Order: sequence, then structure tokens, then C-alpha cells
Amino acid sequence: MSEATPPIPDPVANPIPAAAPKPIVPKPEMSRGDFLWAGWGMLAAFFAASAAAGARFMFPNVIYEPSQKFNAGPAASYDLGVSTKWLNEQRVWIIRTPSGFYAMWARCTHLGCTPNWWGDQNRFKCPCHGSNYTLGGDVIAGPAPMPLWRAKVDLAPTGDLIVDKAVLENKPGKRELAPYFADYAST
Amino acid sequence: MSYRKAFIVSNALMLAAFVWAFAKDFNAPWRPYQKKYYQMSADVLEKKAADEKDPKKADVLKAEARKMRHSPMEIKQIISSDLGRFDRCVTCHVGMDEYTNPTLKNDFTQNPYKSHPKVDSALVKAHPFTKFGCTSCHSGQGLATTVEGAHGWIKHWEKPMLKGVTIQGACVKCHGNFETLKGAEVAASGKKLFRQHGCQGCHAINGWGGVISVDLGDIADKPFERIAGYNFKRVKIDGKELPDEHHDSHWNIQNWIRGHLVNDPVAVTPNDPFAHLNAEPIPPSGMPDFTQEIRREEADAVVAYLSGMTKEEVIPYRYHVPAPAAREPQLSGAAHGKYVFEKYGCQGCHGLEAKRGRRRFNASSSAQKEYDPKMPEKEQFEQMSLGAEPTLPDLMGTYTHEELVKKIESGVSAADAKKWSPKGPMPMVYMPSWKGKISKGELDDLATWLLSIAKKDDSGF
Amino acid sequence: MPTLDLEKIKKEIFDSQLWRSVFRGGVWKDTPRDRAGHIIGNVWLHLHPVKVRPRALKWAYTWGMGGISFALYLLLTLTGVALMFYYRPTIGLAYRDIKDLEFAVTLGMFLRNAHRWAAQAMVVAVIAHMVRVFLTGAYKKPREFNWGIGVLLLTLTLFLSFTGYLLPWDQLAIWAVTVGTNMAGATPVLGNEGPLGSLVGMRINNDVRFTLLGGTMVGENTLLRFYVMHCVAVPLVVGILLILHFWRIRKDSFSAAPYAAAEEKVDVWPHLVKREYIGAAGTTLFIMIWSILQNAPLEAIANPNVTTNPSKAPWYFVGLQELLVYFDPWIAGVLLPGLIIVGLIAIPYIDTNPKGIGSYAWKERPFANTLFLLGVVMWFALIFIGYALRGPNYAWYWPWESWYMLKAAPPATWSVFGPKGVGAYPMLLGIPLIGGLFGGSILLPKLIQRELSGKKLMGGFLAAVAALAAVGMAMGKMGATEGAFLLFFLGASFYFGFVLPQRHIRTLDWPRYLVTMVLVVCTMGILLKMCARLTFNIKYLLTIPAISMNV
Repeated sequence: MSEATPPIPDPVANPIPAAAPKPIVPKPEMSRGDFLWAGWGMLAAFFAASAAAGARFMFPNVIYEPSQKFNAGPAASYDLGVSTKWLNEQRVWIIRTPSGFYAMWARCTHLGCTPNWWGDQNRFKCPCHGSNYTLGGDVIAGPAPMPLWRAKVDLAPTGDLIVDKAVLENKPGKRELAPYFADYAST
Repeated sequence: MSYRKAFIVSNALMLAAFVWAFAKDFNAPWRPYQKKYYQMSADVLEKKAADEKDPKKADVLKAEARKMRHSPMEIKQIISSDLGRFDRCVTCHVGMDEYTNPTLKNDFTQNPYKSHPKVDSALVKAHPFTKFGCTSCHSGQGLATTVEGAHGWIKHWEKPMLKGVTIQGACVKCHGNFETLKGAEVAASGKKLFRQHGCQGCHAINGWGGVISVDLGDIADKPFERIAGYNFKRVKIDGKELPDEHHDSHWNIQNWIRGHLVNDPVAVTPNDPFAHLNAEPIPPSGMPDFTQEIRREEADAVVAYLSGMTKEEVIPYRYHVPAPAAREPQLSGAAHGKYVFEKYGCQGCHGLEAKRGRRRFNASSSAQKEYDPKMPEKEQFEQMSLGAEPTLPDLMGTYTHEELVKKIESGVSAADAKKWSPKGPMPMVYMPSWKGKISKGELDDLATWLLSIAKKDDSGF
Repeated sequence: MPTLDLEKIKKEIFDSQLWRSVFRGGVWKDTPRDRAGHIIGNVWLHLHPVKVRPRALKWAYTWGMGGISFALYLLLTLTGVALMFYYRPTIGLAYRDIKDLEFAVTLGMFLRNAHRWAAQAMVVAVIAHMVRVFLTGAYKKPREFNWGIGVLLLTLTLFLSFTGYLLPWDQLAIWAVTVGTNMAGATPVLGNEGPLGSLVGMRINNDVRFTLLGGTMVGENTLLRFYVMHCVAVPLVVGILLILHFWRIRKDSFSAAPYAAAEEKVDVWPHLVKREYIGAAGTTLFIMIWSILQNAPLEAIANPNVTTNPSKAPWYFVGLQELLVYFDPWIAGVLLPGLIIVGLIAIPYIDTNPKGIGSYAWKERPFANTLFLLGVVMWFALIFIGYALRGPNYAWYWPWESWYMLKAAPPATWSVFGPKGVGAYPMLLGIPLIGGLFGGSILLPKLIQRELSGKKLMGGFLAAVAALAAVGMAMGKMGATEGAFLLFFLGASFYFGFVLPQRHIRTLDWPRYLVTMVLVVCTMGILLKMCARLTFNIKYLLTIPAISMNV
């Protein structure tokens, strides 16, 4: 304790100080040479690191949600047209066209209800506010602002379809291409 | 040191310690394995691209390789909600992760990179990883992401990964029909051995069998807290002591069962026959010595079978495959009696084909010397170990059919045993009552068979 | 080219409306007024007075333990809140969530370690703080009330630790809490297994234990209850008591001093503040490094049907657990802890010795210091026995003995007075005999008005005990270890329970004298009962089974 610490009487040996302590001499203001700034800097860095780590901490590394990816089974097992096989489990329609597959997320783009597939009218119809969609997902009636989302779909080397609902697209022109469309020529 | 310096130093150290902590957390043990897997797979894809003639296809392969090389480092897990499994094994064993490696096949030969060796088998096809996870068959700690932790080679994880043929115990958990199942042959032979040597005479399984010793229906769940450390230390496998690490991968239930088959159980659990530590003498394990009858591989088979005896694991009803209805052989008379003898495990105590009674500690038998209290303890112990169950053919001659049936029905109380050393412990093994367990018809045939093998007294008595 | 005038920019920033609205006060000139203003004008710093006595700055005097305890409390709050983001208090999820923290959450293991180790460190720091305050006589008038709050805070610190212990839902947790809450079931009158409990209609499903557990066994409700107590209810109470504690400290101008002292005080800013900072930073650093190097324990998932062997309480309760070997649960688990808490709170009102305030005055307060330290040493000695010398089946294992060694079964115990004791109606004899011994020990030191020679008394007593032991050994009734135990325990209780009080407190007024002696004799009772068990294998001195009353 080299700097201006007041003399501290030893309370054990001498509980009442005999002499008054020296007056405290005001120190000059913090200067650049004494590296105090380094101390504050490192404290700031420590807090910044803690805050960064705290932010990272809030992003879980594992989540107990069903995987957004799922194996939709062998492509050959699908018939042409809309399959509602995975609607209850994965909220996805698998649609087979003569040239391949796409998977459509069964979520109305208006306010998130699940539309129903009406095969006799060739339309998806939302029960909440009456949005109608074509087989390709385009809005033809009702308040929905944009087409239905299509999910990424891959044809695995095993012949299975792998659908990934985490990767979505609904822009015409893009949605008809890989990876939102899996080429699969009908035999 | 001035407080000014202390301020700077302590802040620097706090920052450093935090960086250290974060670095330690970041450099998790699974990271290098996953990274190496991505690199190796990318190398394979690049090699394929180089060999590819079609430039379009080569470009696709190259893009795939690039993507593989820069795949995000993440903890991968398989959720099997039916079986309550959250298995992060695929974090390191990336080749078995369906989403990183959709074919589930690769050409790597080393763990943890290689793919599942049986990926093409009907076995794996019937048990897709995404539905069953890993630990439902292999055991181990699915939640862990460290090498020791995940394989269960740590303290306080009582179900370490099953090694070798022991994994067939996993089939037994759900498949009641495992005896006819392809791939579960070892466990099936384990059950056969179990029955053949009459283990069920003393050890019931889920209530079916004798009451002399513990029911083995949940033996795979036996907590280590119930196995005394000093007994585990006496277990020798292949003549060697197990490494002295409590609860690690060697001190497991498999080795505890195996230890009873490849060692003389009296050596594993000698207890206190001379009352050195207790007020009363306590006999050693009553289990017979099977080291002469059961080879090491056979012991492993029994271990595999018993490894499936669990009640702790919750397995949904629809995962159970029922056992086919047991068919009784169409036998009658003495031949049926012999079958009954083996069915209820009488040979566990009375010896295979009732030829020679097995050990019954401190029961008096003809093979022993006269009791002499001055005998050294070691010799006394040996003499007590020579005590045996009755050798039935020597005994049966004096019984009538009705007497014999009555005797089997009533059993013999432990207190009636004639002790070799009057100061020694009461024999642990006794003849339990079989009334209500062996049906009347079976009993008749059993008695017929026993009388047929009885030594005839030629003295004319 | 315009030059960059740093000073001007600085001035503009510091004089801006925005800056001044946040940080009041003018330019820092380090005058006494500035330093005072710093303390008064800052909401955090104004927990301090402007000036303190110089001894408040001495590490050798304060040990810094109060501040460090508070730093640990803050650290525990921070880490605890972080852990709450990944923890769900249900039986199906709790253990898995802890495994997740270990294996899958960024810094999860580090935070859990830090929380665990900081909790243990806080128990040590709070006890050390109490010892320091006692030794410097800082609880004396006018600080009696604040000492009492401190004792409550110590109790709550232990309770916080205890409630947190259950949350991982592992074997360590469930058995520590099962034993701990069963002690509550042994509370006299309020517990179903306690003395008189069954007489007033206490059953397993309506007593105090039932309230604590939210059921008849440690289960789903217990986990939720302990979680709420640990994270919300108890920290709230601790917070309120801390405010009181700090407020009183500030009002009493920090460190205690002799009544006649007229000391020149020193500025809190910067002298005390910088010491506090270093204390807090050092503590944080210590906990961080400990958490990096050592992982918090986690055993197998809780199984209400399988008890670990040996099963031990958290270390700070192992002393109580060791007492449970010698006493019935209602004594070891309820009466003695209650007496300790009440006794500690009572100390400032008994000890009216005006000397020895604000210094380590060994010579001025021989009795107070000796007895207090004896209590602390006994607490830690019991912890040592329970923690280090107890092995499988809670049998006594010396440190050099392997836990894999088979130990002899313990011999059967017996009771002196009671249905199976000696004599025809021994209970009727036992009650007055033990009561008389207890009362006599309390009264005797004061009744002898003359000061006796300590050396002569001790010498004579030890010689008599040694002779007794020799006779016992010669008759083959006891071995050398038992003889040594007898000499040690009887000697210690005679010295601390009779010689010291006779020399030092026989002049105290009757009420204070009686309270002191009840506490002293109870402490000696622990030693004597341990002696009776270890030497003569006695289970109870007196047992009245009809009302579950066993001593």
C-alpha cells in the first residue's frame, strides 16, 4: 500500500490512536501513465465478454422439438397429385407432379390456420377467413397476401424424400427449382 | 502491492479466467470428432468429383463437398419420444446421423467415423435409428457428449454401453420370442443354459421358478449400492481382478453376474462362517460352483440373456413382441418325469440328471472328515465346502411313490439340516415346498422317474 | 488543418445535458467534499457512511468476510437466474435438465459449478464473518439486534443451500432432503414422530413434515416447493434481512469501537470502496477458477427405493448428521439446532462485559471466547468425523482404512433407564437422577462462591477418571481406546462445564447466569452422550417409549 493510505492504528494493541492521522493530500487526476485506464478497460472487457457469453447462453444448443427435417418415405410410394399422408404428423402436403415432387407447408399465409385440401375442386381452402389456393399454392380467393410456402425437399440416394420445413420459399420462379423441387420423372 | 495495481491485476485475471472458462466450454470433446468427420467426408466427395467425367455432375459433387466441409458444428441428437431417449451419440458418430449422412453408409473403418456395421441388415431396417435412438439397444448415457460420459464409463451411470454379444440382452427386453429370433442366438443359448443347469430351481424369473434366491426378472437394474465393494473386489474374470474403480465400466452388473459363473460363488461372497465379525456365523453364498460345467463363452451367453432382464426401462406396450405359447412335449411316465425334473431346475441343486448332489455348505455328507473343533479354520472351511445336497439315486430306494410325492410337496426346512460343524452356519440352501408349483400329474411322473433311477438295494433288505 | 482538441471534447461530453442528467456533480477535484458527495450521491455507495473508523480498512481486523459473503450472494443470484433458464422443476425433467446443463448448454457446466461452489463458499464466509464479529466483540451494545439478524441470515444461508440441494434430483439430493425433512417430522408436538406428537393427533399426513414436503414422501410437490423456496421465497426474506442488516451497520458507523474511543475517521471513498472491490473481484476470481477446475457432483437419478451407501448430508450439515448417531432425531435435528440459533441470538444480551469491543481481546474475555470457539470447533470436528471417518453403512473408517474392507458388525446397544434398563421401575429413578445431574451442573458453579484453583481441580478430576479407567481396563470392561475416550470426554466436559464457569461467571446475575449455563451444560451433554456411546455403547440414558421421549 504505497500510496496515500491513512495510517491505520492497530486496534488490538492501541485502540485509541495517540496521534491524529496525517491530512490526506489530494491526488492528481488520473493520468495516462499510471495504467489505471487499463484496469477499467479490462473490467469493461470482462463485462463485455460476460454479456456476449450471456447472449450466447440464451441460444440453446439442443431443442426438444421434433426435427424440422423428416423422412417422407420412398418417392415411388406416392401417386400423382396431393398426398395428405403427412398432414397430421408434419403439417405438410407432398405433391407429386409428372416431373417431380414438392412439399407444401399447410399454413395459411393469412393468419396461420391449416387449410384443407378439396380434391373435387382442386383447391386448398382455409376454414378461418376463406382464403383459396391453387394446387401450386397461389392465392385465388380470400384475404391471404401471398402464396403458400413450399419446403425444401431432397431425393436421398436411398430413394426416400427428405423434407426440411426449416427452409421455405414461395416466390414463383424460385419455388419451382431445387431445392424446393425434387426432380423425379414418372415412369 | 498497491490497490491500484491490484485493481488492474484482478480485472486482468477475471477477464483471463472468463476467457479460459469459455475456451474450455467451447473446446468440447465432441468438436474435433465432428470436424474430422466433415473433413473426411468432404475429401471423399472431392475425390469423387475429380474422378467424375461429367463436368455437371462433378460441379454438384464439388458443391456438396464444400457444403460438407463447412457444415455447422452442432450437438446432434435423436429424439425417440416413445422410448424416452435423447441420444446425442450421433454428435460424434456422425456417419450414423440420418440428416448428415442420408445413406447411413460410408467407407470409414474407424470409430467414431464409421457407419453402423449392420446398416443393411434386417435388424437395423426393423429398428430405424430415428425411431429407436441408440441407447435403447446399446445402453450408455445418451445425453452425454463426452467420450467417457456417453459410453457410461463413469461413476454414477449404472448402465454402461453393452459390449460384444451382451448387446443381445437388448433383444430380450422387447422380444418375448427372442429364442427364435435371428440375431439373438447368443441370448437364446443363454436362456437354454440357464434352464439346462437348473438356475430356475433357485432363481425365479418374474415369479416363475424357485424361491431360494433372488428373482432375476429385474437383475439388470440391480443398483450398485446393493453390491458391497469388498465383494466386487473378489470377482475375477479370466483369472484377473477387475480394475479397482468403483462404478466404472468394469464394475457393472454384467461382470457381477459373470463373476458368479466363472468364479466359485463362495470365493466371491464368503461372508462370515466363523463369526469373526458378527455374533452369529453367516454362511457364504449358497450358489453351487459352476466353473467346471459352464465355459467362459457360455457364461457370456447367460450374461447376455440376463442383461435383458429390466423393469426400469419404460417400454411402451406396442413395442413388446409376445412370446409364442410354450408347447409342452408329449411325453409320459418316466421320460416326462425327467423333463419335469429339468423344467423346474431340480438339477440346480441335485446335479445334472440327478447324478450327484451339489455343494451345500456345512451340511454333513459322506465325503467329509469327522468334525474336530481343533482343526485349523482353513481346513474347516474346506470340509464345510464338501457338504452336499442329497445325491438322489442313493436316497430314493427307501421311499415309496406316495412318500416321495409328499416329500417334494412339503420340502425340507433349513432347520432340519444336519450340520457338519455344530458351531458353523446353518446351510443356506434347503428344499423348498413345490406344492402348487408342480402339478399333480407332473409330480407323479417325476416320482416315477426318480424311483426308476434309484439304486436298488441288492442286500435283500 | 483543424487539430483534435481532446480536452474540449471531453469537457463538452461531461457538460452535456445528457451526461449531467445521468451523472450529477461537477468536476472531480478529490476534495473531502467530493469524496463525501461520491458516497452520498450514489445509490449503491450510500450503503456506506461517508467516513469510517480506520480499523474497518484493516484486513487483519475485518477478514473482509461480510463483504465477501454479500459478493457471493450477488454471484449466486446472477448464476442462479441464469440456471433457471434451463431448469424445469419436475421429476421427469429436472435430472435431464441438469445433464443438459452439463453437456449441451453453452457455459452451463461452468455456471452450475459456480453456483454450487459459491454456495459452499458462502456458508464458509458467513460462518467466518460470525466468528470474526464474535471475537472482536462487535455484537455488543448497541449492535445486539443486528447480531440477531446476522444469526438469522446464517440460518437462511444454510436453508438456501439445503433447498437448492434437492433441485438436481439425483441420489445425493433426494437422500439429503429425505433425512433433513424427516428430522422435521421428529419435531416435538408438531411432528408425527416427535415427542407428544401422536398425543395431539399428528399423523404422517398432517404434521409439519407434510407441509414441508407437500406430501408424505419426497416427490413432485416437494421438488416444486423447494424450487419456489430456493429461487423466490427465501431469497426475498434474505434480501429484506440484508437491507436491515446493512442499514443497521451504516447507522452504527461500521466497525465497533470501545465506548470511550474518539478516533479520527477516514474517508470511505476511496479507501474502503477499493478494498471492497478487491475483495469482491478476488472472490469472483476464486469461484471462477474453482469452477473451471472442478465439476459439481451429480450422482445417479433419484431413486426413492435405493439409498446410496454411505448417504451423507451436505458437508455443513454432516455435523448434525453425526449428532443423529448419538441422539434421537428430535434432539439432534430440532432441539440442538434450535438451541444453537436461540443461544447465538441470546449472546449479546448475556454477555454484558463492556470490555473487548473492537479488538481481539483474548485476555479480557477468556470465558466468552473459549466457549464460543469450543462450539465452533465442535461443529467442525463433528463435520470432520461425519465427512471423513464414516464409510459404508455409516461405519467408522479411519482415513487409512479402505472402504472395501469388511467391518465388524456394531455391538448391540443398551439403555440405562427405561423399560429394558436396569432395575424394576428405573424410569422413576432415571427422571430425577438425570434431571438432578442437569440441574446440579447448572447451579453448582455459582453456589460455590469462592474461586477454586483450576489446576488443582482438573488434576484431581483427571486422576480420578484415570483411576476409574484403569480399574475398568483391569477388569476387562474396556480397552485402551475406550479409556482414552473416557479421559478426553469427561475431562473436556468437566473443564468447560464446571471449571471455567466456576472461575469466570459465578458472579453473573441469576437470569444471565442461568441462560448461559443451560447452553453450556447442553453443549457438555453432547460430549457426555458421545462418550457414553463410544465408551459404554449406551443407546439412551433414559427412555420413555409412551411419549417417544428418549435422552
